[in-house]
Amino acid sequence: MAKKEIKQIAIYGKGGIGKSTTTSNLSAALSDMGYKVMQFGCDPKADSTNTLRDGSYIPTVLELLRDKSKVDARDAIFEGYNGIYCVEAGGPAPGVGCAGRGIITAVQLLKQQNVFEDLDLDYVIYDVLGDVVCGGFAVPIREGIAKHVFTVSSSDFMAIYAANNLFKGIQKYSNSGGALLGGVIANSITSEYQRSIIDDFVARTKTQVMQYVPRSITVTQSELSGKTTIEAAPHSEQAKVYRELAKRVDAHTESVTPSPLDAQELRSWAAEWADQILAIESGEVKDAAQAI
Amino acid sequence: MQHFIERPRSSCALGGAIATLTSLPRVIPILHTSGGCGQNLSGAFASGGGNYGSGYCGGGTIPTSTVSENEIIFGGEDRLREEIENTLDVMNGELFVVATGCMTEMIGDDAESVVEGFRKRGVPIVAISTPSFVGDSYCGYEIALNGIFNQYLEPNLESAGKRAKAVPAINIFGVIPAYDPFFRGDLEEISRLLGSLGYAVNTFFTPDQTFENILRAPSAALNIVFSRTYGIGFAERFRERYGTPYWLTDMPIGPEATDRFLLEFAERTGASKKKVRDRIAIENKIFYKYFERTADIFRDSDFKYYTVTVTNSNYAIPVAGYLMRELGWVLKGSYVTDILEESQKKSLNDAFDAEGFPIPLRFETDTGRIAESITRSLPEYKGSRYYNAATPLFIVGSTLEKATAAARGAGQLSVSYPAYNRMIVDRGYAGYRGGLHLFEDIVGTLVGGK
Repeated sequence: MAKKEIKQIAIYGKGGIGKSTTTSNLSAALSDMGYKVMQFGCDPKADSTNTLRDGSYIPTVLELLRDKSKVDARDAIFEGYNGIYCVEAGGPAPGVGCAGRGIITAVQLLKQQNVFEDLDLDYVIYDVLGDVVCGGFAVPIREGIAKHVFTVSSSDFMAIYAANNLFKGIQKYSNSGGALLGGVIANSITSEYQRSIIDDFVARTKTQVMQYVPRSITVTQSELSGKTTIEAAPHSEQAKVYRELAKRVDAHTESVTPSPLDAQELRSWAAEWADQILAIESGEVKDAAQAI
Repeated sequence: MQHFIERPRSSCALGGAIATLTSLPRVIPILHTSGGCGQNLSGAFASGGGNYGSGYCGGGTIPTSTVSENEIIFGGEDRLREEIENTLDVMNGELFVVATGCMTEMIGDDAESVVEGFRKRGVPIVAISTPSFVGDSYCGYEIALNGIFNQYLEPNLESAGKRAKAVPAINIFGVIPAYDPFFRGDLEEISRLLGSLGYAVNTFFTPDQTFENILRAPSAALNIVFSRTYGIGFAERFRERYGTPYWLTDMPIGPEATDRFLLEFAERTGASKKKVRDRIAIENKIFYKYFERTADIFRDSDFKYYTVTVTNSNYAIPVAGYLMRELGWVLKGSYVTDILEESQKKSLNDAFDAEGFPIPLRFETDTGRIAESITRSLPEYKGSRYYNAATPLFIVGSTLEKATAAARGAGQLSVSYPAYNRMIVDRGYAGYRGGLHLFEDIVGTLVGGK
């Protein structure tokens, strides 16, 4: 029997942009579609999977490793909503140690112990901290781990800046069998021009938008009750948005090497948009589409 | 990376710091590194420094935090704290120096704040930052000195003064333990000479020294830095902290250079010129009494050589000067093997040029390139009618020049690091006695084949 290929994807993006929210809803939606999913939080804060487990924290891989030298990686796997396997890499307290090395160690431990195969998973989704600040945080996109990368970004410049940095990381590893870019998940999109900014950015960097996720009070309410939107408000409009995202991710097969902008290009691009936004806000141009 | 060094002649900053710390009296290093750093780096100089050995609390016995995966991920400060406690339990020292390695520096462990906790308890301890990526062993020597003299010692001249002897004191710096393989013998000769002029000399690294010498150092009248490249920033900070002036000069080898050194010393310190002249007369008399008996063999055997020096920057000028002026040999090449900044190269070059050598100083870190350069500049006879034979040739370098010398049928003596093929204990080449020793060793290799 041919070995089942596990679809491994990594979700990156600037800190606070909604990665964990998006990832957890994506995991929940894929799980609802009948897939066996593992969500792997790669952040020392270890809160990626909270909303899959009624807001509770789970022991992390690194906590286990800290206590004993030999660890069964299965001890770090906990079931959440709809049987989703939840894992948190964990890491050091803020300001000490090396979180990047922690991610490397945690990911390697699960890989070495063939956990993914043994659990007969369909999906492993890595939710990775912020920017690709060092080699450790690039581990999920290096050879043999994730195959597709999606980046969560709003239309804010700093979020796009972080996404562009990620693209540079992907480009670097693309020649050595690393993960390629699936697309951008546009988050907190509430206006037409925000959508246009993201559209323009993906066009310039030769990628695509996977889904536009509006800012929604439903998400906030769900999170405050320790749940994903899929679980807490399964019939809401927002849940539909996430389910649609899950379908697109599921249908997605071919990722590409992005074309990140260099620092000067990015600055010029942002400056152009600053002028246009000012024009829109000051009423010079009523129709945002004309401004583009 | 622009360039890798083929057969390097130094290890990393931590290696230099370990060589320095383990050579100081009652100073105990504590390494905050992964396992192996201490042993391996000690191994390099324990043999390369003329089989210097690793010493008390050195080599495999250096207290080390031996950080592993857990400390790398979660931070190693607790492990360091524990290691310091353990060391204090079993080791008796006047000063404990925590030296960091690459990994603990990269993860941002704050060794300084860890030792601060111990200092508050009255423990004599200081932390120095010595990851490999800050520089080579020479750099590590300077970091260690700064940690002890410019960081640990209080800028309290009164207390240092009370400890001082009644006679004026001189501190000697710039001579790197193990990486200047003759450091002990050289320091002892300088100490003997200045001592004969009525000075108390703090050499710090010779067996006669105690931790008191370190404590007294701030009250010295002068720091002599025997280097054009190392310890200068340190001496400058020392001057700012304690007001001690410094003098950068070369280690004198042989009577000509040592006469000059002593005369300039008198100029700088106001030492009695008569005393200095009398000392010079005595030393020259002794030197030449010995030397004249060697004239027969030196002349009759026609020991007139072309010569090339391959040394670290500290020995470049002293050795070349000795060969040219004392032996009358023809200097055909002078290579400096250290990894130097442009500013260091310039100061060394300026000093070299001021000595009036007939050749330019060359900077080359790679053993193979040095061999290639010697071959190109001194071509061997290949049947051509006219060529500059440059034979007989003698290479004064390190053990790494053995093969180059053998290939050309040249004589060779290892005076610079690494000197694996020498057993160096109290031998030195500095001063008058050192001049005789160098003569013994060079001519000794020539007659050794008989």
